[in-house]
Amino acid sequence: MAYIISDEGKDLLKDVHDFCENEVKEQSKEFDLSGEWPQNIYDMAAEMQLGTLDVPEEFGGPGLSRIDHAAILEEMAKADAGFATSFMTNGLSLHPIEFGGTKEQLKSVYDVILKGGFGAFCLTEPNAGCDVSNGSTTAVKDGDDYIINGTKCFITNGPVADFFTVFAKTDKSAGAKGMSAFLIFKGTPGLSIGSHENKMGIRLSQTSDVILEDVRVPASAMLGKEGDGFKIAMKTLDIARTWCGIVAVGLAQRAIDEAASYVRTRVQFGKPLGRNEVIQFKLADMQMATEAARQLCAYSLTLMDRGEDYTVASATAKCKAGDAAMYCTTEAVQILGGYGFSRDYPVEKLMRDAKIFQLFEGTNEIQRLVVGRSVVGKC
Amino acid sequence: MKYLVYVELKNGRPSGAALELVSAAKKAGADAAAVLAENGCEDAAAEAAKFASEVIILDGAALDPNGRPTEDYLTAALAKLASDEGADGVLLSAAPFNRNIAPRIASRMGAGCITDVIGLSAEDGSLIFTRPSYGGTVLEKQSVIGGKVVATVRSGSFDAPEEGAAAQPVHKTIAVDDADLRAKITEFIAEAGEVVNLEDADVIVSGGRGMGSEEGFKLVEELANELGGVVGASRPAIENGWIGRTHQVGQSGKIVTPKLYIACGISGAMQHVSGMMDSGYIVAINKDEDAPIFQIADVGIVGDVHKILPLMIDAVKAHKAQ
Amino acid sequence: MEFLVCVKQVPDDSVEIHLNPETGTPDLSQADPEAGAFDTYAEELAVRFIEENGGSVTVVSAGTDDNKTCLKNSLAVGAGAAYLIADEGTDCLDSAQVADLLAAAAPKIEEQEGKKFDVILCGKESTDAIGGQVGALLAEKMNLPLVENAVEIKSTDSGISVKQETDTGFMMYEVSTPAVVTISKPDYDPRYPTIRSKMAARKAKIPTLTLSDLGISDLASEAAVSSLGFAEPKTRQAGIKINESEPEEAVKKAMDQMIADKAL
Repeated sequence: MAYIISDEGKDLLKDVHDFCENEVKEQSKEFDLSGEWPQNIYDMAAEMQLGTLDVPEEFGGPGLSRIDHAAILEEMAKADAGFATSFMTNGLSLHPIEFGGTKEQLKSVYDVILKGGFGAFCLTEPNAGCDVSNGSTTAVKDGDDYIINGTKCFITNGPVADFFTVFAKTDKSAGAKGMSAFLIFKGTPGLSIGSHENKMGIRLSQTSDVILEDVRVPASAMLGKEGDGFKIAMKTLDIARTWCGIVAVGLAQRAIDEAASYVRTRVQFGKPLGRNEVIQFKLADMQMATEAARQLCAYSLTLMDRGEDYTVASATAKCKAGDAAMYCTTEAVQILGGYGFSRDYPVEKLMRDAKIFQLFEGTNEIQRLVVGRSVVGKC
Repeated sequence: MKYLVYVELKNGRPSGAALELVSAAKKAGADAAAVLAENGCEDAAAEAAKFASEVIILDGAALDPNGRPTEDYLTAALAKLASDEGADGVLLSAAPFNRNIAPRIASRMGAGCITDVIGLSAEDGSLIFTRPSYGGTVLEKQSVIGGKVVATVRSGSFDAPEEGAAAQPVHKTIAVDDADLRAKITEFIAEAGEVVNLEDADVIVSGGRGMGSEEGFKLVEELANELGGVVGASRPAIENGWIGRTHQVGQSGKIVTPKLYIACGISGAMQHVSGMMDSGYIVAINKDEDAPIFQIADVGIVGDVHKILPLMIDAVKAHKAQ
Repeated sequence: MEFLVCVKQVPDDSVEIHLNPETGTPDLSQADPEAGAFDTYAEELAVRFIEENGGSVTVVSAGTDDNKTCLKNSLAVGAGAAYLIADEGTDCLDSAQVADLLAAAAPKIEEQEGKKFDVILCGKESTDAIGGQVGALLAEKMNLPLVENAVEIKSTDSGISVKQETDTGFMMYEVSTPAVVTISKPDYDPRYPTIRSKMAARKAKIPTLTLSDLGISDLASEAAVSSLGFAEPKTRQAGIKINESEPEEAVKKAMDQMIADKAL
């Protein structure tokens, strides 16, 4: 089972599959070990225009449907979840501009993406993880400019981004309503990249602190108006969670594929492992969890297509997909036994890659909070 | 019925694959007329005369910088000779050079062309050729329409011929028009490294992806030296630059049939296996116990090549000392 | 320089093909159709050449309507136009028939495109039948000079220079154009289609040339070889598998076995 996609999408999916098989899957092992940014792989991906899927047709993008885009992103995640995360993060960094930016701002960032560039979404701070509105980054008005100071952490694409969507307090006393969003380009004086995270997984993506020291930006860099920041951030996360789920589904599917191919050839007690019902049941549960998560993602995308509210659907999809990724990769390690634990086999990496999908873009506890509140309603 | 059999030289002697063509012609019920055209082929012609019913030396061939007839010349000359001699067929070994010219000769003779023949049988008066397709996982049986055939034949597919003939080599000159010699050779750039003769080797030690590095691959060379064998390689080892492409065994390299073939760190992809499947005795060393190479190995060793090979080199030394 | 690249659609060569036990023919159901590997090298070589020196690349394939998939892929990786030769009987062709069709199609395509081809490229062999004949037969039928197994083409004052891969090195040729050249594996890989080029290529119209367009009245009579059927290659029986935790023990066992079998 899979996403139900167009013939055009199927055609593109095959190309992306070939690319990922030949240029990403095996190569990612080396970069998983070193933690280095595989510039060559991203250059080839840019040449293939894989990043352009986030750009609407009117701005020069290919104009694929969301569901076709999802199938392609899943394919990228199957090869390497970190690789897919770098592209998923582009979407995340673009949404604030789509929600609050002007046409000029949009064009400027879409042009960057079309050329193979990257964006970073700068919300999280050392003391403001789930508690987003507790951020201490400030933007102080100075004439026609704002001066921004603060440190953002765990910023995916930080070291490679060409533009940053930064959230800062314009009114410290106003809580969530005192937060505003800004579009800042690489090279703006005062903006620098801090220490790189040495991550457990998704090591083909880069994550770092982003430091803002007296960064002066014109008022026109603001997205929307003063105080819109929190709302923009929440709307962004609502949409981005589904895309995060899509990447997690790809990772879960890869774990199933690896485990299934292992049990077909691995002979124990005189027969292939795959003939054991214990193994078949494990794989069935993995498959069902993954397919369920995939269809939740598809459902959320359909709501977006129809212009209907997707907040709860998106949280549900992300949570179930993140959990499915963790569950399937852990079970894949179990099925491969000692080999599963070995770095010579592919599944231990998948398990390390999976954990983040229960953590970022709102921990799965936050997703449950969103869903739980919607179920209980006012009381 | 007469077939022309083209005999290329290897180290000044008729190549083993070319002599096998004499057996193939015999199996087809044809007399073999061996044709030689390379620079300095007289001794080889004398040797071929022990096997073939006729031996023809083509004088005045247009030669390339290596002293071999050019493709354009040999195409024209063999087609014309076949017509002069009333030959119904031309057989060539399946070396790349011969594969290039076989279809052209066929076209000029009005013959059907079949490449990479590995078997031949006569049924109800018609000849049936067997050749591999799909990388060797499937064999196809073909016959030519009209009876005339030009075929390239893989080495090792037919037995070496028995001595017994006593032909007298005759010299002939085939006039080839300039209009037939249109691809002008300007230069030959030799590839670094020694001449590799995998096809005639009794022992081949091959290395693949599992050798890990150029350094690691040296173990393969060392074992080959100890055994007096030739070094082979699978495609990943070539693509990683651990050894030159002239060492490649497989569908896109050489088809080999040594008495002993030792595959080190080679998983056994069809592309490789189809080139060494008919070896007399196969030894495989691979750390993955499910590697397909073990399905065709007489002796399979599950283990790390980097640990196994040094021990095996010592063991071979000890065995030789006895 | 104007290139015509001849492309054969073959089953994905990374899938192992075996006989279907019921039909006795190769089971291709698991292998998606794609352009032959060497044909894609030929395309890439031609596209790189025109990117550097100007010119055009046109592709042609003989077969069925199904071949449009791989022709569209050619359009997505740099070909400017694509033609399909399809008609009754073109679904099952031998090398001589393919060469006949291509030889007849080349001037027709020249007419329609309003250009003369300088170089006609073929992959040195397909990855399914692996006959390696079509390029050579095409040169004969068109009476053009030929260089086979090339990895590089450069233009010269009077035509092209071609670098041919041989057993022991590289032979350099000079030939006048028009010429036929068959292509081996250069030291680069074919490019991937981009998202946009693929989407544009999907919408492209691919003209079909029929037998009557080509003036061929009796295709069957052009055949030179007939296929009589298929067989599985003989398999080899696996011998012993030594799986010892100590390498010393494994090597000893292996050596004992090899000596007993007189393999050394």
